[in-house]
Amino acid sequence: MQITKFAIPEIIFGNGSIKYLASCAQRLGAKRVLLVSDAGLEESGWVKQILNILENAKMDCAYFNDVTSNPRDTQIHEGAKLYLEHKADVIIGLGGGSPIDTAKGIATIVSNGGQISDYEGANRISHPLPPMIFIPTTAGGGSDVSQYAIITDTKRQVKMSIISRSLVPNISIIDPDLLITKSRKLILSSAVDALTHAIESYVSRLASPFTESQALNAIKLITENLKPAADTKDPEALTNLSIASTAAGMSFSNAGLGIGHAVAHSLGGRYDVMHGMTLPILLPAVMRFNISSCKTKMAIIARTINGAHICSTDIKADQVCNTLQHMFEDLGIPMRLRDILPDNNHLEEICHLAVQDACAVPNPREADWSDLLNICNEAW
Amino acid sequence: MSSNTSLLDLIGIEHNKLNFFQELQKNIQELTELNLHSEDQRREIAAILDGITDVMMVLSENLEIISVNHVFEELFPGVNPIGRKCYSLFRHDKKPCSECPAFRALSTNSVCKETAIFRVDGKNMQFDMVASPLKNPDLTENRILIFKRDVTLEKEYQAKFYQAEKMATIGVLAAGVAHEINNPMAAVAGFAEGIQRRLARLDDSVPDDLAEDLNDYTNTILKECLRCQDIVKTLLSFSRPVAADFLPVDFNQVAKDTLRLLDHQFRKRKDIDLHAELSSSLSHIYGDEAQLKQVILNLMTNAIDAVGESGEIHVKTFSTATHVGLKVSDSGCGIPPENKDMLFEPFFTTKSVGRGIGIGLSTCYNIVREHNGEIVVDSEPNQGSCFTVLLPI
Repeated sequence: MQITKFAIPEIIFGNGSIKYLASCAQRLGAKRVLLVSDAGLEESGWVKQILNILENAKMDCAYFNDVTSNPRDTQIHEGAKLYLEHKADVIIGLGGGSPIDTAKGIATIVSNGGQISDYEGANRISHPLPPMIFIPTTAGGGSDVSQYAIITDTKRQVKMSIISRSLVPNISIIDPDLLITKSRKLILSSAVDALTHAIESYVSRLASPFTESQALNAIKLITENLKPAADTKDPEALTNLSIASTAAGMSFSNAGLGIGHAVAHSLGGRYDVMHGMTLPILLPAVMRFNISSCKTKMAIIARTINGAHICSTDIKADQVCNTLQHMFEDLGIPMRLRDILPDNNHLEEICHLAVQDACAVPNPREADWSDLLNICNEAW
Repeated sequence: MSSNTSLLDLIGIEHNKLNFFQELQKNIQELTELNLHSEDQRREIAAILDGITDVMMVLSENLEIISVNHVFEELFPGVNPIGRKCYSLFRHDKKPCSECPAFRALSTNSVCKETAIFRVDGKNMQFDMVASPLKNPDLTENRILIFKRDVTLEKEYQAKFYQAEKMATIGVLAAGVAHEINNPMAAVAGFAEGIQRRLARLDDSVPDDLAEDLNDYTNTILKECLRCQDIVKTLLSFSRPVAADFLPVDFNQVAKDTLRLLDHQFRKRKDIDLHAELSSSLSHIYGDEAQLKQVILNLMTNAIDAVGESGEIHVKTFSTATHVGLKVSDSGCGIPPENKDMLFEPFFTTKSVGRGIGIGLSTCYNIVREHNGEIVVDSEPNQGSCFTVLLPI
């Protein structure tokens, strides 16, 4: 068995846990904070609430909200400028993957300098980052516990995967209460993102007993709670989704992902589509491609989703893809690429880029660009 | 770049979250190295500073001593100079010295030099001073760096050299003059004696009153000739080479002889009253007669110059239990306080060009010091001066 590693931040979990934000920040030496969030969270009132918490603790706060759903390199550099101008000392990221990845990018630039594209790939960050506190609001991205940041290179129209242990925040405060204000679409897309994290990292070549148990726990919690959470915003279901997304985050952060995310990053870089929307479309095709290399694991996933049925491993492994596809269709999630993309003229180019994505590396089955193109065509 | 990413890169066993503690450790290590480096530099600079043999002081704008080097401690052993005023240490004065180069250095923002004599530990010491302004935008106040180099010995040697040279010149001159004057004097005296002999034989044929007159004249001629010979002799003895051995000397006699050399001067200047009060019983001292004459001569010359057209000069010899002494006091112009420290400095003079070159008192000082004696000056402007020479018995 190969030597593995399991790196996660301090995690504060529970309903109402954001009240610990001020004391956490102060413990990290915060006097002047940079808060990174976006317009959606301003609307829902959470930004105001966070600013109040910081103000009551007499912390000076600069607020950065120039964040889009696929954060761009230019936004990172703007944020870094604000951080330096404000002479901030701690970065707080509030939101889904976008504000949190933006916060990670800003932290990287303020202490390492240069362009964010300089740090694409694994282990390129050489200076310590300022202390980071993340407050996830989507129960999906898992970025708040991961060592990944996905940033769009606007010139190349590519999503860059930046991977470094330094991107793991100091503290992640996970408060399921924040999910209440999410739209059904957002709850669904982020939960599917989390489910994909769990499945891809579970079958990853880097999976270890520490990540596998987290992945399976996440798969189970998401499939059981996705419908009630999306349809009725059942608080318990939302809490379970929070746990699941965090578990999936811990898993993929350490075990890596697979070609599903590699292709999703390339599509996102090209078309600026919502990350969570592409994954349910790609996932069944990706799993079908991978089955031959990880049949047993696929069977375990099937058993986790469907419960214990007496049938062969092969049959179970085959079933899992259909099960997922039906589940997504039941929830009304678009299941063809043609539903969300304007055209399919650039798929070949996208697949060429996707094989270079660091996320593709631990995929259980070697895939070249034509394999990826087949998957895309299957999903079109 | 990313295409090179491998599974091992993703596991990143050898990579961990860099945190501020590590940064701190890195900083501490860097600072430790920098500290060692600057400590080395400090030692090197300290070694260079210790190698400087001049007194070095850093002064504040109001001449308070901020730091000194080790040479200062040799000069003032056991004195803590920090915070004290420069002038209080060197001059025992309550206000800055008028010639202080520090102020000039600051106001002109240039390096300024000055020479001064300070009385340190009962000894007159001469220092060359160099003041450099230390103007630094980081400091709230300007500072001055002062070097003081002890040049007492150099100046003494210099003075001795000039003295020896002068004496040698005078010696040659005196010998020539003596030769030139002695011959005609011998002739004059010989002829005067001849007249006296003839006169004795012509006793009967010459009227008595004429014979008496002639006798009187020739006696006067002979007496004056004798006096001339004495003067020449004195001149010769005065110009003897300097490095004479110390012999028992009658200081009264020395004073008498010297005053006689000055007879002419006093005869010319009727308005100067000379009062000589030479003690009858002075102990003999060991000394160099010619050099001591030089001392008295210089002091007298200064006194004559000080009184100008008219006034009084008192010369007095006296003895105490341990010393014989000579006091030359005048009713002249006196010495302004700012000049007092420079009196004994070679080439310091207040006389106009052509009246002196300013080595008189420095020579006196050196001679008296060689005799283990001392010169004390007491003077007030416009009240006259009094120089007292004390020589051990």
